[in-house]
Amino acid sequence: MRPALAVFVVAALTQWLLPLSGVWQHERVIARGVPVRIRCAAPDPYDPLRGRYLAVRPEETQVPKPEGMPEQGGVPVWATLEEGDDGLSRIKSLSLEPVSGQTVIRLVAGWQRWNQESATVFVEWPFDRFYLNERLAFDADALVAERLRAGERPVAEIRLLDGRAVLTDVLLDGVSIREIVKPPAQ
Amino acid sequence: MSLPHHLWLAEQLPAWEREGIVTADGARMLRERYAAEPQGGLAQMIVGAVGALLIGTGLVAVLAYNWDDFPRWVRLLLALGPLAASQAVSWWVLRQDEAAKPWQREAVALVQTLAAGAAMALVSQIYNLPGNWTDLVFWWCLVSVPLAWVLRSQAVAIVYLIGIAVWTVAQAGERASWSSPAEVADLRLWFPLLLAGILPLWPGPELRDRPASGSRLVLAAATLIGLIAVAVYASVCPREPIQALFWLAMLSTAAVLLFPLDRHGIAEPLTRKPQVLLGGLSLFVMALIATYEDPARQLVKGVGFALPLGWCWLLLAVIAGFATLAFRQGRSAVLAVAGLALVPLLVAPFWSPGDDGWPVAITYSLVLLATAIVLIALEFLGRQGAARIGAALITLLVILRMADADLSLLVKGLAFIVIGVGFLGFNIFISRRRSIPLGGSPA
Repeated sequence: MRPALAVFVVAALTQWLLPLSGVWQHERVIARGVPVRIRCAAPDPYDPLRGRYLAVRPEETQVPKPEGMPEQGGVPVWATLEEGDDGLSRIKSLSLEPVSGQTVIRLVAGWQRWNQESATVFVEWPFDRFYLNERLAFDADALVAERLRAGERPVAEIRLLDGRAVLTDVLLDGVSIREIVKPPAQ
Repeated sequence: MSLPHHLWLAEQLPAWEREGIVTADGARMLRERYAAEPQGGLAQMIVGAVGALLIGTGLVAVLAYNWDDFPRWVRLLLALGPLAASQAVSWWVLRQDEAAKPWQREAVALVQTLAAGAAMALVSQIYNLPGNWTDLVFWWCLVSVPLAWVLRSQAVAIVYLIGIAVWTVAQAGERASWSSPAEVADLRLWFPLLLAGILPLWPGPELRDRPASGSRLVLAAATLIGLIAVAVYASVCPREPIQALFWLAMLSTAAVLLFPLDRHGIAEPLTRKPQVLLGGLSLFVMALIATYEDPARQLVKGVGFALPLGWCWLLLAVIAGFATLAFRQGRSAVLAVAGLALVPLLVAPFWSPGDDGWPVAITYSLVLLATAIVLIALEFLGRQGAARIGAALITLLVILRMADADLSLLVKGLAFIVIGVGFLGFNIFISRRRSIPLGGSPA
């Protein structure tokens, strides 16, 4: 085989490897993961490559600093979630070491650069967007804004497996936002 | 001579050889000196690229319609199907080897690149994956660049270069952001590595492939932008504002300007050397900014912050190496312009943090004036200078200083008229002088 053909084969396989590894990981979590609901905000920005989405921002972004937190940004941490009486989950504890459990989620923690003495750290959740059809996105955004003004927060529904999370839906009043804004069938 | 002239010459040479107008050796030397583009030219690339873009856009539009109504497996099939189809066509074209036309190679390479990007973006969308779109661009670049190598595609190379520049700037922005907790890639390592990804295409395994004019411009611009982004990355200090950036950006620009060229490259006109054009203009702009007090103070202050950085020493070493080569090749004009980046280093030992920036600003004005005179003098000495750029620089300097001066509007107006007339007259004089054939030495 000519070198160019060999390089092409490797490149072509790599082009499959990246999306397929993503498919495999996330399908596994969706199929076998534990469902968890988290209160969040969801405005409507735009991604130039992937289209319009609701930016899903869990309310809990600052949590007490775990013991021994190193002075750097982007530290992986493991959060254990606990479900409240309202059916929504919140961070119960944060660990720098991997912990096991069905409701453990891997987050990334960082210091507040302008306030390194703070007793809390920022956490980044492993999901930040929920893609919507371009035709529905404006209606969804308007609906979320209206509900927010009325004091009602959207809820992110995720699936958890082995610390990995996949965002499966965004709910308003327990109903999928896609269902709410979908035009009625003719 | 421009590319159409090169192509015309390449067409004429066989007949001239047959008719005995030129010898075989003479024809070979002319072919080497005025090489036509080996990749099939800009038109071929545009034909291939436009066709590929139309197909890609059409596919996206078809898929986007009623997207939400499809179950997940159908969406995945639609995301990955075009990739499989484009790979099959690319394989077929690749098997044609030299029989494949340049536009075919360009088209299949670009379609496959778009299909790979679309597959990654759609999978990412289907599973609501987090992360900036620039992260997706990074992976897209990595999986696409081999197509530029094996299908010798300039279009994919351009997409790759733009992609790595965009990703590098995004990472530098993330690093400089005070609000972001995210860790970013070490650009001092990653950008040179990513830039080296283009080496299998240019200069290629036999070290003789050169990018076409448009690709050269993208290559020079991507390198310059990327290196300045790396300078941002290297300048960020914890709990400190960015201090070293201005000087590191000047050093990066000087490195691009001094990039070594072979004999043929040196002989080419300035319009075919975008690294010299972009690097030189950027350095002039930065040096002109440094003729003001506050930027001059910041610039020389930044030397103290830059010198402890390894990246600064690497840039200085690269500049020293490139400058030595340029000196041996007699490239006096680029050496004179690149020297502007070293002024802060030479001034820094005589400046203390409490001093104001005026001595540095005045030094920069004088050095810029000297550089302009060198560029003009080189041309009059029969070397390849840049008399018009030198004259423009002097004109700009005088205008800037006149604008600062506490003079009446009438005096300033009259001065501007005199400067304008002088500049136009000089240009006419240079045009007439150049119309007389002269022997020149490379610079």
